[in-house]
Amino acid sequence: MLEGLSRSFGGLVAVAELSLAVEEGQIYAMIGPNGAGKSTTFNLISGLLAPDAGRILFGGRDITALPAAPRTHLGIGRTFQVMQPFHDMTVLENVMVGELFGHVVPKSLEAARRDAEAVCALVGVEPLMDRTVQGLGVADLKRLEMARALATHPRLLLLDEVMAGLTPSEAQHAVGVIRRIRDGGVTVLLIDHVMSSVRDLAERVAVLNFGRKIAEGSFAEVAQEPAVIEAYLGEEAGSPP
Amino acid sequence: MTAGRGISLAVALILAVAFPFWANEAQPYYLQIAINIIIFAVLALSWDILARTGQLSLAHAAFYGLGAYTSALLTLRAGLAVIPAMLAGALLAAIVAAGLGVLTLRLRGIYFAIATLAFSETLRVTTNQLQFTGAATGLVAPPLLGGQRVVQYLAILTVLVLVVLVSWLVNRSRLYFAFTAIRTNEDVAATMGVDVVRYKVFAFVVSAFFAGITGAYYAHVFLFISPIEAYSLAVSVGALVAPIFGGLYTTAGPVIGAVALRLVEEFLRSAIRSGYLIIYGLILAVVILYMPSGLAGVWATMRGRRRV
Repeated sequence: MLEGLSRSFGGLVAVAELSLAVEEGQIYAMIGPNGAGKSTTFNLISGLLAPDAGRILFGGRDITALPAAPRTHLGIGRTFQVMQPFHDMTVLENVMVGELFGHVVPKSLEAARRDAEAVCALVGVEPLMDRTVQGLGVADLKRLEMARALATHPRLLLLDEVMAGLTPSEAQHAVGVIRRIRDGGVTVLLIDHVMSSVRDLAERVAVLNFGRKIAEGSFAEVAQEPAVIEAYLGEEAGSPP
Repeated sequence: MTAGRGISLAVALILAVAFPFWANEAQPYYLQIAINIIIFAVLALSWDILARTGQLSLAHAAFYGLGAYTSALLTLRAGLAVIPAMLAGALLAAIVAAGLGVLTLRLRGIYFAIATLAFSETLRVTTNQLQFTGAATGLVAPPLLGGQRVVQYLAILTVLVLVVLVSWLVNRSRLYFAFTAIRTNEDVAATMGVDVVRYKVFAFVVSAFFAGITGAYYAHVFLFISPIEAYSLAVSVGALVAPIFGGLYTTAGPVIGAVALRLVEEFLRSAIRSGYLIIYGLILAVVILYMPSGLAGVWATMRGRRRV
């Protein structure tokens, strides 16, 4: 739950008085043109950036002042739009980092290895577990991003463009994985530009433009909004002269 | 660890322990070289432990010098015995490292390196000015263990065994995962729950402790320290060249690198009287260019192993 969140960089307002309420167990999508403030919002929620104003509530608790690592311990996991694998490690070791450090109670190496293998199986990178990250394709790197976030056993999972660059069948697979994750009791907040996936997955959609929320509702509802059409297609196409 | 590796390590250790008893009789000069090599190996490995968190330090001489001066001053001005003074020197180096670690947390890569270099130079210049520390003239320190070379050798060998053990444990534990994650990307590490500050400062403290004890050892074995020697850039650069040469982020690499580099240097010095450093530099350049994971990397590739 975000309340009146703002953040600017120099004179540029990236996120302006943004309020969102994501309900537990929901798949919630944030869409909007490039530069709308979606990734900045993720950085604010995960604790990599501090807001200039506003509050972030998670499970009723105000976490606005918490750094990133304790937020992960509370149950916020995320992926990165630009994939950031630990390239000196194998796929399994990458996932083990989340298992080892993503929880308040420390896990043994053995337990972490076992649980990381289960996560790899869930997202479909099991055959690659012992490989180093070098030479992996986009789809596998995206899956690894998801596996690492899942290894922290989040209650809220932030997915930053995990569909981008995937073939339609790979995207289909990812949609299935995300549904299974939600069915396992995880709330999902995702950013994506692949509209067919957003339509298939999201129960609720917020549309951002220039850091502001310009529409919110079901996919069908926001797709009808004149402000949304205008933001996506430009003024000339959206509104009569 | 495989049985074969265990046996070869045990043999190496026995040889290393037996060596001074032979050398002291036959070739006392070799004993001197061996002590130098081990000092270099401890510095290299302690530098590498810090580097595993992505912090490329040019301040290893600072902690080496701090250890040397603290220990020498405590024995000379406070009348402390040598061994407690050496431990105090190492502790002070570790405490100062914790402070410097917190101050430089936000700096990465080359900016971190520059900050550490500035810190080291500040210490050198300050020591050079203070009468209390003997200014530019330096200090004459009392000998460790009554000046017996064989026992002194065994003392630094013990320090090496300790730092090897620490390094090995780091690479076998959750610390390996934390350090490697932080080195690759601090933000990602943090969002996966890694307490970045804690692990970076911890690595700094461990690294500085060993650099400090080595500096203190140097003071009480070679009996004289001066700002230009104790805080020399050669120490800082040497500490990072050996791991790169031998293989970064491993336990064996920095040790092998230190031994190989010193032996090559000694050999070249006796073989070519003038200009031997040119050949030394060439060898260094070739290894760094053509063996990016160092000597240990080449060995590991031949053995089909990934981590040494």
